[in-house]
Order: sequence, then structure tokens, then C-alpha cells
Amino acid sequence: MGMTQLDRKLQAGAMMERRVENDRLMLADAVLQGALDGSRPLTAGERTALQASPLTLRRFRHLADARRSFAWRGSRGLLRAADSGAGLDLLRTDDRMWSLHFVDDGGTLCVIVQLDPDAAGAAHVLDQRPAIQVRDGAGQVVLAGVLDADGECEGRWPFAQPPSTHFQQHGARFEVIPGAPPIT
Amino acid sequence: MRGEIEDEEGMRLPGTRYQEHGWEQVRKLLGQCSLQAFVRLDPAILLAPDAEQSLDAYIDAVALALRTAGARAQAPGNSYGDTCGELALSLVYELQARPADWAALCTAVTSEHARIGPFWTQPGGDAPLRKKFNDLYAVLRDKVDSDNYQAACGRPCSPNRMYAYRMLDTAYHEIARLFDGWREHAGQVGAILGREVAAMPIEARQLRSIGDCKPEWIMHWSESLEAHSGAPGPLHTRSKRFASLKNSLEKIGAMLREIGEYEALSANRDQDWLQDRDDAGAWLDDYWRVLDESEQGSTPGPDQILEARQDELDAAEPELSLETAPVDEIDAARLAAVAEQVSLPLNYLLLAAAAEDRASWAARRMAQDSLPVRLAVYLKLLGPFDDSYPSEWLDPASGELPTMQQLSGLDGISLPTLRKRRDAAIAGLNEMAVTEEERRWA
Repeated sequence: MGMTQLDRKLQAGAMMERRVENDRLMLADAVLQGALDGSRPLTAGERTALQASPLTLRRFRHLADARRSFAWRGSRGLLRAADSGAGLDLLRTDDRMWSLHFVDDGGTLCVIVQLDPDAAGAAHVLDQRPAIQVRDGAGQVVLAGVLDADGECEGRWPFAQPPSTHFQQHGARFEVIPGAPPIT
Repeated sequence: MRGEIEDEEGMRLPGTRYQEHGWEQVRKLLGQCSLQAFVRLDPAILLAPDAEQSLDAYIDAVALALRTAGARAQAPGNSYGDTCGELALSLVYELQARPADWAALCTAVTSEHARIGPFWTQPGGDAPLRKKFNDLYAVLRDKVDSDNYQAACGRPCSPNRMYAYRMLDTAYHEIARLFDGWREHAGQVGAILGREVAAMPIEARQLRSIGDCKPEWIMHWSESLEAHSGAPGPLHTRSKRFASLKNSLEKIGAMLREIGEYEALSANRDQDWLQDRDDAGAWLDDYWRVLDESEQGSTPGPDQILEARQDELDAAEPELSLETAPVDEIDAARLAAVAEQVSLPLNYLLLAAAAEDRASWAARRMAQDSLPVRLAVYLKLLGPFDDSYPSEWLDPASGELPTMQQLSGLDGISLPTLRKRRDAAIAGLNEMAVTEEERRWA
């Protein structure tokens, strides 16, 4: 049971609507940024100041939005020499954010793209649950879909040749990028 | 060379919405619609001690007039794509959240009434009433924009500082105009540059943007105004408003540069500040997380709370007498009061209740309130239409939530009672003592 989209809008609206006479910025950007990135949680007094000052809350929102809009725009990976053997079952993007797994599901080869939750920026990507695409070095779509709550997306391996051969023949690289959601 | 377009746009600063030339139209619209509101309402309510009630009645009436204002409301009000009508309406809603400003208007009306009686019944009595509203919104727009500025760039700003930015911007455009016509204005241009002008001054060629404008020129320009126009310049009046700028070329220079830098920046940028609408509440997750982390393991003191800024420019009170907004010509044409009798389908309440997500945070948080009161909360906080509203909530006739009048009828209570209950419900939503359970939901 979660907050609905409408709930969140209403809650945000209620908080943004508040005005306090002679309000002012109570916390410096450095303090708010430290709280946002978790490096320095607010003191009890600062927490109270944030809650009591709608203007400071608006600044907080601005910084939070700016952080979020510093969005993931895609990751790239290479097929390494060591990967070129017959049993290719795992590839990683250079930024370590994504891994590709190849698994045999009862005779059907499946490809799974998985977000590493510990990678930098992964939490924001997971929050947004974007549509993503995996493409080979020639730009062909390997996999397209929407990230699930576990940070995964799965599909059938779409090519005739096995992954190692296919990637070798198509630039020996791949990318994971935000993509249009599939039409359902 | 400076193009006319640039001059037309007026000043832009981070976050501000009301500083461009469209403000003139917004101001006229608010004046016109305020007078319309007081065709429906008796201006004598402004004399009543209960300012809260007159504010609510005024907000409803002026918002209705704004929504039916037609072409003037559709005109662009700034370069960010806001129309005059949208800007006027959001200023009206700001007023609702700032009762002290309304109280100031009521005081001004009351003291004029004590002096000359019910002036609004006199021939031409609209004009002084309109002037009161012009003054109200002139102050309010700088309050709103100085808050917008602070939220956008994290630097303190006061309404008076916002006014000072605008004065400097106007001064720059005036100096640029004089430089352009240096032949006709050789005397004044000479006074600004501090030397005799016989040929085209190199400064006229070099002045491309406000960032190129020298603070000394502003000072000399202000000084020259009395001799050339008969009225003292803004930095040479006896007003305390710009007292702290009078002797500080550095401060003036820094403010000029700031306007110039933001102009250059915003001219080269797409509107990347626009947020994806679906993601508009994402910052709330950060908010709850930050509160949680602070409660779980807050940093040991000392608190790093900002000191209140003690700059003279920010401490100066806005002075209305300087904002000599010309009184509009009385707008004879007035729209007839709009009929409010939009009836709803008989089973509206049933369908609307069935469409409500009873498990939602809002429904649970406002479980003590009636459905019409809950809808009034949505109406106030999110407006008459939002993508997330179930279609059963909308009046089929308007495609929007029912109006406050309709909702009070549905609930069988008076409009003031509905407003009181709505505002109490919103205060409840804002209570910061959020339970752990809700925190987990959020």
C-alpha cells in the first residue's frame, strides 16, 4: 500500500503552499546538499528549521530536483577478450552500473539487464523505473522494456547467433540507454 | 546592437516571474478584475474587523473574474511562457497565503474611509479603490519574486532588493537609450561619462549589455536627472530606500553584473528547468529520507543555521509613494456577473465517492472530512483540473472539479464554513508530526 500519484501531488501541493511571514533561508546550500547526499545528516535544530521554513523547503526542493535531473543518460560496455569464449554469461558496462546476464531458460536463451543498486546514481534510476534499451555496437536493439522494482528487465535473446559471436561481429560493444517504453 | 526585443523583455533574474514588461498587463488585469469583484461584493466588507472573511470572499470573486477575463488574460506575461492570466491568478493565490498583505490593504481602505467616507460610491470612486489594489500587488509581486529568487539560487533577497535590481535595470536601459541618441542628448551623456562629448563616445559602441554598464554611469545618470527632467533620480531622492546603494559603487556594479550574467545564461539555455510532470513530487522522497536520516543519526551540534542578513538594502521597507503606478483609465466595460448555477448529476456524490481511492494517504488523512471538503482541498491545492483526478470527480458540464459554490451546496453548508473546514484540512495535511507508518508509505 503506497502513496498514490495523486497523494504525492496533494502532499507536495500542501507543503509548497505554506507561507510564513518574514520567512527567510535558514540553511546554507552546503548544509542542504550534505543532507541530500547523506554525508552529513541534519542536526535536530536544522531539521526543525527546515520543517518550519517553507522558503528553506522550497530551496531544498530546488536542490533535490537539480540533483535528480542530473540524470543517467546511458552506459557503455565492451566485449573483452576474456569474454569471447563460448560460455559468455555476463557483461558489465564500464561504469559498473549495469550487467547483462545470459541464461538458458528451458532451451530458450534469455538476456537480463540488471542495475547494480550500489552504483553511483543507481538509486535515482531505480526511483524513476525508466524504460531502457540495450543495443549492440551496430545499434540493433538487444532488449527493450521498463525496469522492474528489482532493477531488472528481461527478454528473449533476439538474434540467431549466440551472444559472444553476435557481439564480436557487431562492434564488440554494447550500450544501455534510456529508451521509449514498448507499446502495450 | 541592442535590439528592441531585448528592451521589450525587461529584467530576468533566477526564479523571477513578475519582472518583465508583461507585468504592466498583469497589473491592469488585476486592477480590472478586482473592481469587477467589488461589483459583486460590497467594498464595505473591507472595513470589517474580520479581514479573513473578506479575503476569502475577494479571492473567490477575483479568481472568477480572472478566469472569464478573455483576451487580456491570454497575452504573454513573461518570456517563460506564463500568460498574464496565469501570473495574475497565482499572485491572487499567494495573497491568500499572506493575510498580512490583505490586512494592510484593509487598513489603507479604512483610513481613507475615515477621512472621506465611502469613496467608492463617489463618481470616479473606482480609481482610488483600484489604486489600493495596484499598491497591494506591487508589493506582493516583489515579495513573491524575492522568494522565488531565493529558492532558485540560495542567496538571500528582500522585496526591496528586487525593487533595486529593477531600478538598476531601468537605469541601464535609459542610459543605453541616451547613448544611442548621444547627439541629441550630448549634455546628459557628457554628465554621465563625466567629460565633454563632441564625437561619438566609444562607450556607446561598447555598451552591449547591462553587464557592460559602469556603476559610475548609474550614479551620474541619477544625479543628472534633476537638471534634465526636473525630478531627482532614484539615487538622489531623500528616500531611504536606496540609501545603502548611494555610496557603494561596488554594490551597484555587482548587481549590474549579476543581471547581465543571468541574461546571457538564460538566453543560451533551453527551458531545462521544466520538470517532468510525472516526477514533480520526486523531491518528497528526498525530503522524507533526509528527515529520517536526521532522526536516526543526526549530526551532533552545533546547528548551522544562517544568520538573518543585516544589509541596509534588505532592511529598507518598501515605499509605496515611489511606485507611482499611473491610475488606469477607468475601464467602463464590465463583464456581467457570471451565472454560477451549474447543476451536477444527481448521482454525482455517489460516483465521486466510489472513484476515490479510500486507501490513499489523502483519503485516510482527511477521513474526518466530508467528500466535498476533501474535493475543496484538491481544488485549492491542485486547481480545478489535474491529470490524476478520477473522471467521476469532474463536473460533466465544465470538465473540472465542482466550484466552491457547488461543493458548499453539495455539503449543505455555507461557503465560509466550507472554506474554514477546507483550510483546517490543509493544515492537517501539513502537520509535520508524521507517523512512522506514513513515513514508510512516503
